[in-house]
Amino acid sequence: MNLNTDMTVNRITDEIWEIPISEKPGMLVPARIYATRNILQSMDSGVFDQVTNVACLPGIVRYALCMPDGHWGYGFPIGGVAAFDVQQGVISPGGVGYDINCGMRLIRTDLTLADVQPRLERLMTELFRKVPAGVGASGFVRVSQEDFGRVMTHGAGWCVERGYGWHRDLARMEEGGCIDGADPSVVTEHAIQRGINQLGTLGSGNHYLEVQVVSNDRIFDPVTAAALGITGHEQIVVMVHCGSRGFGHQVASDYLKKFEKAMRRYGIGVKDQQLACAPFRSPEGQDYFSAMNCAANTAFANRQVITHQVREVFSTVFGQSAEALGMELVYDVAHNIAKVERYPEGDLVVHRKGATRAFGPGSPGLPEPFRLTGQPVICGGSMETGSYLLVGTDRAVRDTFGSTMHGAGRTMSRAQAKRTVRGDLLQQQMKEHGILVKAVSMSGLAEEAGLAYKNISEVVESVDRAGITRKVLELRPIGNIKG
Amino acid sequence: MAWTIRFLEEVALADIAFQVEAGSIEEAFRGATQALLESMANPATVSGGWERAIERSDEDAAALLFDWLSDIVYWKDAAGVVFREAPLTLTKQEHRWLLRAKLIGALVDRQTQELHADVKGVTKHLYELTETGGCWMVRVVLDV
Repeated sequence: MNLNTDMTVNRITDEIWEIPISEKPGMLVPARIYATRNILQSMDSGVFDQVTNVACLPGIVRYALCMPDGHWGYGFPIGGVAAFDVQQGVISPGGVGYDINCGMRLIRTDLTLADVQPRLERLMTELFRKVPAGVGASGFVRVSQEDFGRVMTHGAGWCVERGYGWHRDLARMEEGGCIDGADPSVVTEHAIQRGINQLGTLGSGNHYLEVQVVSNDRIFDPVTAAALGITGHEQIVVMVHCGSRGFGHQVASDYLKKFEKAMRRYGIGVKDQQLACAPFRSPEGQDYFSAMNCAANTAFANRQVITHQVREVFSTVFGQSAEALGMELVYDVAHNIAKVERYPEGDLVVHRKGATRAFGPGSPGLPEPFRLTGQPVICGGSMETGSYLLVGTDRAVRDTFGSTMHGAGRTMSRAQAKRTVRGDLLQQQMKEHGILVKAVSMSGLAEEAGLAYKNISEVVESVDRAGITRKVLELRPIGNIKG
Repeated sequence: MAWTIRFLEEVALADIAFQVEAGSIEEAFRGATQALLESMANPATVSGGWERAIERSDEDAAALLFDWLSDIVYWKDAAGVVFREAPLTLTKQEHRWLLRAKLIGALVDRQTQELHADVKGVTKHLYELTETGGCWMVRVVLDV
């Protein structure tokens, strides 16, 4: 098999591949990659190198994992999952990612393509106006420093208290949109000043707001889809992909710097500076965990404010209240986070970086609406190809610390994508294919062209066949807002 | 202009990487600064009006450059601005490097500015400031 690594990679099943601990000095556990043979062969060398570096971190349990959308990242690969013993193990900002609680949110509607198509231009123009995107964008919500502290501790709940959402939204978010243990006193002033004006903004890069349609022939599990509020018939939904913006990044940067010093004190060596870490139970580890939770809650709040704006725009454009339009939240899920969860080995700090929690039906910790279906898993594809809604499984809980993929995963650099496609031409081509794109930056648009990403359908098939997530339906884009 | 900037294609698949070569360490700082400004917006499309003087010192020049570049990213978000230029001087006083710089830019305006990536931060991945035979090289990977 032709792989971008010299390491031995053993086949466990057609979708699971293992790198034994003999392949790199210091590996404490094997590394496992979930992928079809074809996806594995297309993975960049960074994935193999980084997932085996993660396998060397103190206190790691069972395996260092990488999902099929994996590609090179900072320290951990994107798509990386690793669990550490809470007593003996570490916590690493590199295992969470800079954009803490970057995540996905899906909002359903009762509208159909026939309702939306005639007003799509106006809808996208209004969304582009009301949901700030791109470099330096600031949101419409002005908060005092005291209020921002409450955003950090209350997350999406703060927004709902202020009228930016409905109380029932909270039941349809990971952790109810608010993770316990957030302590603003361990967040730097620098981070606060960087993030205080960014509530309700998308950012740029691969972040987006997308209007999508669900066709009957792309629903694979109608019963689960219906339980999640999606019945097809060219139904319109809205997907939001963004995170904690500059605030989360500053938290990560601040603690990477602190951890570089802490590692010397605790005698921890790492294979890559971006894997800087501290014992989870150390003061530094606990401070980062609390600060990370502040950023995670801010990300929930960010997506909640965006949801409020989306509802306002739909209400204006279609002349009915958002409630009358059936704009209920399907789910909100984090894909850059570290959480303490219980597994047979005990309480573990599970790091998911570009990976989604995927708890199966009946799992403790799942909100009531999902006890029977399993937790929704929202996977964003490229803006040209579509996205998927899946649900978690018991097998994910058993095999992958309740984790699965998060998106398509890049295969082409931003520079190469820009050389290959021109933003304005891409925008025109997409319009001809029925996808209306509004973008702040044409070069940014070119960077996100579909050809820069893996085939999401193949990525989804691999986790479905591996049994760690079950696909429910596919979503087709008709409008996209990009930073 | 006594530096060259090369944006690196295959270093960071999802992000932006650049390498600067210069005849002096001060020019290397200037080149890296210019590359960062260009990553966020076309400086030629940004007017003035917003200014911030920044002074930093460090014994380690690489750490100083890293912190300076991080300052630029910070002000982009904290003040909601993009930048036209950032003139700077770099001097060595005993064992410490001293950077004196001024950030000059304007509030973000989609209508008049050519905006590029919303840079989230400067990373340590492959980060380097080195000197070989009088030629200074900086390599930076930006998270976007």
